[in-house]
Formats: sequence, C-alpha cells, structure tokens
Amino acid sequence: MAKEDDERKPKSAPWTEFFWNPRTHEVMGRTASSWGLIILFYLVFYTFLAGMFVLTMYVMLCTIDEYKPTYQDRLAIPGLMIRPKGELMEIIYNIEDTESWDKYIQKLDNFLAPYNDSVQAQKNDVCTPDSFFYQEDSGEVRNNPKRSCQFNRTMLGSCSGLGSESDVRTYGYGTGQPCIFIKLNRVIGMLPGKGQAPYVSCGPKNQDTDKIGELEYFPTNGSYNFMYYPFYGIRAQVNYSQPLVAVKFTNITYNTDVNVECKIISDTITEYSERDKFAGRVSFRLRINKNI
Amino acid sequence: MGYGRSDSYRVATTQENKDVKEKPKAKGADLEELKKEVPLTEHKMSIEEVCQKHNTDIVQGLTNAKAAEFLIRDGPNALTPPPTTPEWVKFCRQLFGGFSVLLWIGAILCFLAYAIQAATEDEPAGDNLYLGIVLSAVVIITGCFSYFQEAKSSKIMESFKNMVPQQALVIREGEKLQINAEEVVAGDLVEVKGGDRIPADLRVVSAHGCKVDNSSLTGESEPQNRSPECTNDNPLETRNIAFFSTNCVEGTARGIVISTGDRTTMGRIATLASGLDTGKTPIAKEIEHFIHIITGVAVFLGISFFILSIVLGYSWLEAVIFLIGIIVANVPEGLLATVTVCLTLTAKRMAKKNCLVKNLEAVETLGSTSTICSDKTGTLTQNRMTVAHMWFDNQIHEADTTEDQSGASFDKSSETWVALARVAALCNRASFKANQESLPILKRDVAGDASESALLKCIELSCGGVKAMREKNKKVAEIPFNSTNKYQLSVHETEDENDNRYLLVMKGAPERILDRSTTIMVQGKEQPMDEELKEAFQNAYLELGGLGERVLGFCHALLPEDQFPKGFAFDCDDVNFPTENLCFLGLMSMIDPPRAAVPDAVGKCRSAGIKVIMVTGDHPITAKAIAKGVGIISEGNETVEDIAARLNIPVSQVNPRDAKACVIHGSDLKDLSQDQMDDLLKNHTEIVFARTSPQQKLIIVEGCQRLGAIVAVTGDGVNDSPALKKADIGVAMGISGSDVSKQAADMILLDDNFASIVTGVEEGRLIFDNLKKSIAYTLTSNIPEITPFLFFIIVNIPLPLGTITILCIDLGTDMVPAISLAYEIAESDIMKRQPRNPARDKLVNERLISIAYGQIGMIQALGGFFAYFVIMAENGFLPSRLVGIRLYWDDRSNNDLEDSYGQQWTYEQRKIVEFTCHTAFFVSIVVVQWADVIVCKTRRNSVFQQGMRNKILIFGLFEETALAAFLSYCPGMDVALRMYPLKPSWWFCAFPYSFLIFVYDEIRKLILRRHPGGWVEKETYY
Repeated sequence: MAKEDDERKPKSAPWTEFFWNPRTHEVMGRTASSWGLIILFYLVFYTFLAGMFVLTMYVMLCTIDEYKPTYQDRLAIPGLMIRPKGELMEIIYNIEDTESWDKYIQKLDNFLAPYNDSVQAQKNDVCTPDSFFYQEDSGEVRNNPKRSCQFNRTMLGSCSGLGSESDVRTYGYGTGQPCIFIKLNRVIGMLPGKGQAPYVSCGPKNQDTDKIGELEYFPTNGSYNFMYYPFYGIRAQVNYSQPLVAVKFTNITYNTDVNVECKIISDTITEYSERDKFAGRVSFRLRINKNI
Repeated sequence: MGYGRSDSYRVATTQENKDVKEKPKAKGADLEELKKEVPLTEHKMSIEEVCQKHNTDIVQGLTNAKAAEFLIRDGPNALTPPPTTPEWVKFCRQLFGGFSVLLWIGAILCFLAYAIQAATEDEPAGDNLYLGIVLSAVVIITGCFSYFQEAKSSKIMESFKNMVPQQALVIREGEKLQINAEEVVAGDLVEVKGGDRIPADLRVVSAHGCKVDNSSLTGESEPQNRSPECTNDNPLETRNIAFFSTNCVEGTARGIVISTGDRTTMGRIATLASGLDTGKTPIAKEIEHFIHIITGVAVFLGISFFILSIVLGYSWLEAVIFLIGIIVANVPEGLLATVTVCLTLTAKRMAKKNCLVKNLEAVETLGSTSTICSDKTGTLTQNRMTVAHMWFDNQIHEADTTEDQSGASFDKSSETWVALARVAALCNRASFKANQESLPILKRDVAGDASESALLKCIELSCGGVKAMREKNKKVAEIPFNSTNKYQLSVHETEDENDNRYLLVMKGAPERILDRSTTIMVQGKEQPMDEELKEAFQNAYLELGGLGERVLGFCHALLPEDQFPKGFAFDCDDVNFPTENLCFLGLMSMIDPPRAAVPDAVGKCRSAGIKVIMVTGDHPITAKAIAKGVGIISEGNETVEDIAARLNIPVSQVNPRDAKACVIHGSDLKDLSQDQMDDLLKNHTEIVFARTSPQQKLIIVEGCQRLGAIVAVTGDGVNDSPALKKADIGVAMGISGSDVSKQAADMILLDDNFASIVTGVEEGRLIFDNLKKSIAYTLTSNIPEITPFLFFIIVNIPLPLGTITILCIDLGTDMVPAISLAYEIAESDIMKRQPRNPARDKLVNERLISIAYGQIGMIQALGGFFAYFVIMAENGFLPSRLVGIRLYWDDRSNNDLEDSYGQQWTYEQRKIVEFTCHTAFFVSIVVVQWADVIVCKTRRNSVFQQGMRNKILIFGLFEETALAAFLSYCPGMDVALRMYPLKPSWWFCAFPYSFLIFVYDEIRKLILRRHPGGWVEKETYY
C-alpha cells in the first residue's frame, strides 16, 4: 500500500528511509495523514464486517433450539468409553508398586463421587426399572427441569469402592483384580434398545483369548436399565446420572498385555462402524505387572 | 516456465563462470572486441599482398595439401551454432525458474515440518507430507507443461533451418573443384556466379558485372557491384570484398578467401549476438516483484503468529510447525499453473495472428514495450524495388507501389508514356522466370537486376505483354550498362512491319541521358530541348532524388532508314551508330516501397505511446523518405536540416530543440558520447538512424534501455541479430528473416508484416491487465484459507478448513475461473494509452494485495467461518463451546467429548462433523469466489458496463460449482478426500457474504469512476 512516490525515490536512499523518511515525513512510505486515513478506513470497514458477522451469527443462533441440537445424524451409534481412561486407553500398573495404581483409585473416587447413594437420593428420583422414563414436553410448554433416575454407587457391588476391605476399596487394583467402568455416551433422545435392556459384553481381542480370565459384571448382567433413557440434554435434565457398568477381571494373566474389547449388545445397536472403533464398542489394553 | 530467455548462451556462460575463474573476463573482453567494427585490412592490400598473406597463388589456388592443413588449423567453414542448451538444462530451467522457486521452498518447508513432527510425535499428521508432495507435483507438472509448450515452438523454429548443404567452386592446384562449402579454407581461390551464395569472406580479384545482395548484412536493398578496386576504407562499403552468406545476384567473380567460419564478418556478428547477455523479461521481473510481496506477507504473518503462539504458551516445536504452516499457506499453489496457462493461451492466440512467440514470457513483453527500433529493409518495406514515380510530359506521375495494386493509377493514354514504356520494356535485360503465369505479377520471380525487374514489373502491370513486345521488336544490338558510360542501350526492329527503321533505346543516369538528348517528347510531340524544359527536368530529378528514389532517364531515337537500312550490322564495340541527339522521354524512379499496412501500424503504435525508431543500414535519404512515407517522421515534423533549408540558414544556427525529428548518420553516431546519445534519444520523438553497422544498432538499443525504455527490435538480417538479442524483445521476420536473426529473436512474425506487431502489443497489454485480474482473484482466496489455521492456533477451535480442501480450492475450483479471466476483453481502448512504466505500474502492487487480502479476502473468510459455525452449532457445538476445545477435540483417546447439550462424541464422530465443516467452508469459498470472479472481471468499469460475454468465465462458474458438488456428494469422497455431503441449507450460508462482495466492489468502482485521482483510486486501484 506504499504510495507511488516511494518507488520513484532514487535508489541511493538508505533503506532506513523506508521506516522514517525525514524529507517527506513518511513512515513506511506513508505520511501520518495517509496512515491515519487508511487505518481509519480499515477500522470502519472491519467494524462493519464484524457487525455483519455478528448479525448473521445472531440470526443463526436464533434458529438453534436450546434443548435439542438440529442434527444428530452423526450420533446414530453411541460411543462406549471406559474409566479409568489411562494414557491412550492403556491401563498398566504394578501390584506391588502402590503409586503405580493409586492414580487410578484417585480418578475413580472422583468419578464415582456423584454416584454416592446420599447424593443420588438427594438429587434424583427412584424410578420404575425396565421401562423408559419419558418426560415429553406438551407442545410449546416445556416440562422443565426434567427429573433423573438414581444410579446408586452401591449397585456396583465389589466395584463400588465402598467398604473397608482393601480389595473393594481399591476397586480390585491392589489385588490384581481391577474393575473397569464402562459408560455409554449420552445422546439426546436415544433409546438404546427395544425389549431387552442393552448390556455390555467384554471379550479378548486378537490372540489374547486365554489371558483374559473370568469376568464379573455389575450391576448384574452388565446391563443399562431402560429407566435411564431417554436423555433430555443437560440443560433440561440438569442432574442426569449416566448409568455405568463395571467389569471386574478376576483371573487375568499377569505380566502380559491383554487386549480387551467391550461391546454393547442391544437389539437396536446392531452394526458397528468400520471406521469408528469407539461407536458401540471400546477396546483397551490392560497390563498388570507382578514381581515374581 | 523459463524465466530466462530460451537462448542457450546464458547457461553456458554461467557454467563456465563456475568452472574457470579467468574465463568470464576473457569472454567479456571478447564481447567488447566484437562490438568494435570489423578489422578487415585485405581490401586495402594489393592482390599480391593478399596472396602472400594467405600463402596462395592467384592462378593455381592452394595446393590440396595446404588446403587440408588450413582446414585442420581453422576448422570447417561454418558458423558455430550457438551452444545448444541440453534438453535437461532447459527442463530444469522450467522446473526451478522464477515462480517455481516459491513452490519449491514451500514444499521443502512442508517436508521439514513433517520431519519435525515425525521425530517428535508418535502419529504425525500426514498433512504436511501430502502438501509437500502436492506442491512438488504441481511444480513438476507445470514445468513439464511449459517445457513442452516451448519445445513445440522451437520445433517450428527448426523447420526454418535450411538443411541444403552449400556447394562452392574452388580452384586448387589449378583445377576447378566443386566442394562442400564447409571445406573451403582461407586462401582458396573461389569462383562465384549469379545465384550462388558467397561461401566465405572473399577479396575479389576479378569480376564481370558481379552484383551481390548485401541486404542481410548492411540493410541496403539494392544489389551492390563488386570489382577488384578498393573504393572505400570501410570494409563493409568497399567493392572488393564479398561477404560470407550474402548472395551473388548476377555476374561472375573470382576471389581469394580471406576468412572462414566464425572469423567472417557474418560470423563475428552471429557470435556477438549469441554472446550477448540478455536481461530478464519484464514479466519475469514482475513475477519476481510479486514473489517479494508474497514472501514478505507470508514471513510477516508467520513471524507474528510464531511470537503469538510462543506467548500463548505453545512449545517451540509447535510454534515452528505453525510458522511453517502459515508460510506455506501463503503460497498460492494454483497461480503458477494459472499464469502459465494464461500466457500459453495468449501465445496461441498470437500465433494465430502470425506472431510466433519463442518463449512464453515474451508474450507480455510487447505489451510493455515503449520503444520499437525497427529495421527498414524487409520489415517496413517490401524489400523489392518498385517503380514509384515517373516524370514525363513535364509532370510527375505516381505509380502504384502497394502490394495488392490498390493504389492510385495514372494517365496511361499519353503517347509519351507509350514510348517511355516501350523503352523501359525493351532496354531491359530482366525477364520473368518460366511457369509463373498463374502468379500475380508482383509475386513472380524475375531473373535480373533489381531496378530492371522493377521496370519490368511496372510495364507488365501497366501495359502488359512485355514478352510479346520484345518478340515483336527484335533486339539487334546491345551495349550493357557499365560504370563509365552509365547508360545501357539496345537497338531493335520496330513492330510496324512497313517501317524498316531501327529503334534505338537507351536508359541510364538521368544527367547522362539528358546530355545525349536534343529533343524531348511532350504529349507525343517531339520538341527541342530548351532551357525551360531542362530546368523542369532538373527540378523533377531533384525532387525524385530527394524522395530517396533511384532515378533513371530514358530516351530513344528512330534511326534514319537511309543510313541504317535493314540488315545493318551494328557494332557495339566500335560504335557505328549515333548515341547522341536522341529524344528524351522521361524519368522513372524506383524505391523499395513501404508495406501497405505499415503506416497504419506505425500510427497505432504512436497513439499507443510507443516511440518508433528506424535503424537501418541504408542511406539517409532513402531512410528518411521511407520514414516519412510510413509516418515514423510524421507530417509537419522537421529535422534540423529541414529547418535550415526552410529558413535558409546554416545547420549550425538551428536550435536542435526545435527539431522533433532527426536523421542520424552512422558515421556521426560513432563520435557521439554516451551523454550525447542519451540527449539525442530523449529530445527527439522521431529518430531515424541511417548507415548503421550491426554494432551501432546494438549501441542504440542499449541507449534506449539505459533511459528506462523497454525496447522491441524488429529486423530480418544478420546485421540486426545483436540488436535483436539485446532488445527486451527481438522480433524477427519469418519469411525473409535470416536464420541467425530468428535464432536471436524472441518472437517471429510469420507473415513478415510489421502490422502484426500491433497485434502483439495489444495482446501483450491485454494479458498484463488480465493477469492482474487473475492474480487478484487467485490471491483473494488465500485469506479464507489462512485465517482458519490462525484461529485454530489462537482461539483453539477445531480446524475449520483442512489442507486437502485448501488444495481442492487452489488446484481445483479456482483454476478455470482464474484462467477464464485471461479471455476477458479490454475495459477501454488499450491501444490509446501510454505503455506502462515498469518502475511504477507493477503486475502486483500493494493496492492489489490490500484489496485481495485486506478487503475481499476478509469478507470471504467471514463467509467461510459463518458456515463453519452454523454446522458446528446445528450439530450441538455452539461457538462458546468451541473456543478452547482444540486439545480435547484432537485427542484420539478422548471418545466422550461433551457438546453444548451434554451429548458425548467419539473422536471419529466429531471428526466427521469437523470434515463436514471443512467441506462447507470449501463450498462457501466457492460461493464467495463466484462474486469475486465477477468483481475481478473489471478493475474500473462496472460489471454492467462490461457485460457477461466471457463464455469461458460463465463455464468456469458452473464448472467450479459442479466440482464442489461432486467433491461433496460423490460416494467414496468421505474415504478418499474426507469430504462429506452437505445439507442443502449449508450451501446458502455464504450467500449474504457473496452478495456483500459484489455490492461492496461495485460501490468501490463507482466511487473510483466518479472521482478519478481521488483517495479510493490511490488506495485501491490496482
């Protein structure tokens, strides 16, 4: 945007004159008033553009529903996720080295705190199991805030982390029988099954068939009860408690990598995406080291 | 594309420079040496001295042994072809020249970034690697394209080459031998005859009516006599030297070869030409300037965001990756291809109009040209003597000199004319070659002297049947022209069978003819020659001579039957008939007339602000006459000499500032200092250089360039080739041009028509304007391509536009519209404005960047971001949620990322949304680019004034839209390019912004037109 005069200047002019030309009082090839004008122009221009952008954004946001997103087609198959997450879906620790699994205990304690029976009793309702808990709006009248069903920590049995024995309190980590918590991603309005409640089934991946040992599921059958569905979104259903399934590895082979894949078995979620390894299933690596 | 000229010399020297340090100096000295005049001395020596010098014998010639020895010593007698660049060097020049460098640097940076990522991350994103590969591929493909494009034109070039080996007749050991011209050595005794090509530089030892055509060496259109005497100190003008590769037109001569091959005068000029270093083409300079600007912007942005990302707490490595990413994002990947295609299209269009461009960049050069130095002979003129005027009946008549006989005719009824025509037809040894009856008279080949053929054609045209006339009037005696008599005479029978008198006809130098005449024919009546008529003759003679024409006088006499009865034996050696007291008929004058289209073309050049200078080897008077004829010296403009003559004062008293025009003789030019030369070129608008040597032509071109002009040189002869080479654009003639000149030129006029240059200028200017538009269009989309990355870094939102989609824009949808702008018609009459000032009128200037980046580009970016936010919001991620989400978003192990509604997303699910956003951003850029291409159609006019007649552009609009739809909806694209189908409503997100671009720019241009020279023009007119 330098003005033409600066190109007409003799070549011999020192390059510093580009920054300050004492003869013409130009800074970077422009006089103060020239700079002022162009800056003013861009200021006005960009202010106008910003205004226009804000306007279009405002119009767009007005069309967005507060409680339900416009499109959900990318969430057809809900994802599965584990807790504790570990680094890169790996849970590796040494039984003898307390510090190596203490972080998992910490995380799980925090994760499960909202599920304490006292908290649940205070915030949520007791619902009828095995049927969907519909709380539809009636036309324009919002039925808010919506209530949520209790998911009590005690339902997780020996994976609840409640109790005095170190085995239960450490979620089995201290004894080499770790609990992994599996949750089904929240999707507004999703009904995860029809007749039969969906349940989690874990199994070995690759050639790790015999290393995985026996599994124990909590709550019984490792199922997600229908009463926790449908989910109405955190704005409408502020205290929603996401149901969990705990898997306890009771007889896992030590000192080796065990690849585990857990799937949701449901009569509505039947196909798994080839590309998305976490839609309707989750896989992770477990390695428990024990000094021999 | 090659940003060096495709002459092969430069690379050769640069290689030498590297190899041997001493060499460049030697080469430089060589060139300076070559620029000096020819150091021939043989013409001043006696024949014996010449023989002695070359160890030869005047009768026997060389011995075979000596000839063989000399052949080994001097090498074959042929011009060393300019060192041809190996094909791979040409190819590499296409690959690494100019613009490609920018892309290569980009590619290398990409690979570097990928290497850093690969070294530091477990699963590096492949983007940088792919981008690097694509960038390299683009450069290589475009490189190949322009390489083949230029290879095509050089093939056409090769077809010009005359492959017939030349033969020469030499005398060795007393025997005549027909040998290959290449085997001729210095000292050889050579015989040449009419029609031969002179095999080497010859010192003539004997000649019989020998005439050579030196036009390709000196520019003189008339054949020159050759004889053994030294007539001039200047070897180029002396009669006893015949030059290599000139043609012997008639007669025979014998000469001693004094130099062969590259040591000949012609060879020296050719070497000089190929040794000249030519500068960059104007477009190459412009592209360099453009690269500077782009690099400046890229580095500025890169460094700013590098600092910013350090401040924001990114690690050094991340910041470096960002830095590279930003710099690379500034590289307009598609522009190289666009520019190449645009230039190619123009080159093709010009080739259709008979301008063959040897290298692509030269396409634009004519458009920037501010001075044309034109050779006269063959370029401005037809290179064919033609009768231009006649004087009879005490009146000057004008003959038709146009190529198509569309000019004025004269009164042919006068009996004087009949007699004059008869003399001209009979006293004439020229004749048409056989089997040309179907050709128009002017196109027929004639055997004979140039002026005689001019007469022949003139008579054939105006009266017809010269052959029949000659048959009826049988020739009984003839005295051919010689330089002592200065006349030619023949005696014929009359066509009237009852009339047994003989007709004596004579033509020659007018004053000699007049001396021999006592009467003069006026209106068919013989009158005694009185003083008044003599004065009339003198005036006519002077006037025709002043027009630069060669004047011949004609007279005849009917010999009395009593003294010369039928069967009288005329003796031409011992003249036994009267050659005086004849009847004067009239004068005919000849000139090499200008081509018909030239005056118009010169006028157009002039109105386009281009200075046309004539540079010729011909005589000043002829040069001036032609200059006036074609308008190089326009009507009413006078030279110093004219003013002096008009005011009747000595030349020295005239103020040179009063004269706009000037004619400068080569010998005066020699004495001029550089300052005087500059002064001369600056202060005269209309200049003619006459009698210039090839070296002086070069000096003139250099002088013009020193004053900042972009110089085009037109020429056809070898003598023009150094100037052709030195010029910013050398234009050679395709038909009449010599091989050497075609080699040296950048452009070839296939029809030899100077008027084609005007086409070239027009096309060149148009492509310059259109390239601006094309670049403005292409650069604009850079902003919506860069800003997503910047926001990704600063506010940590998921990436709104990915590398693949950027490439889809740059190398996909933007291509056709950008190229279609090359078809845009001019906004105003481009031939009515001044040539651009290379110092000020840049291809890409700050204003263009300001508009493209600062204004239109910003609107486009907003359009893209709007589409991005719409899709994100409609999928559950409101803008407030997006800010700062980047780290979690791009974490592969995070498969329960919460959106604004509390829904949880796996990595893959949200990535699909992200890629859908990329697709939508991409489509939005296409939508805003619709408006941009319409806006870029014009720089000043409104679209409503310009119209939408550019069909390619309309096709481009549909094509880019179809391509965008295809990329979005074609099944399999999600896997191949990670582009996803868009919901129809998402196409419309950018519409308001597209509309805004159109309205904004129309308003800008409206203000621009309303307030010429105002602030808006100063800041935004690119």
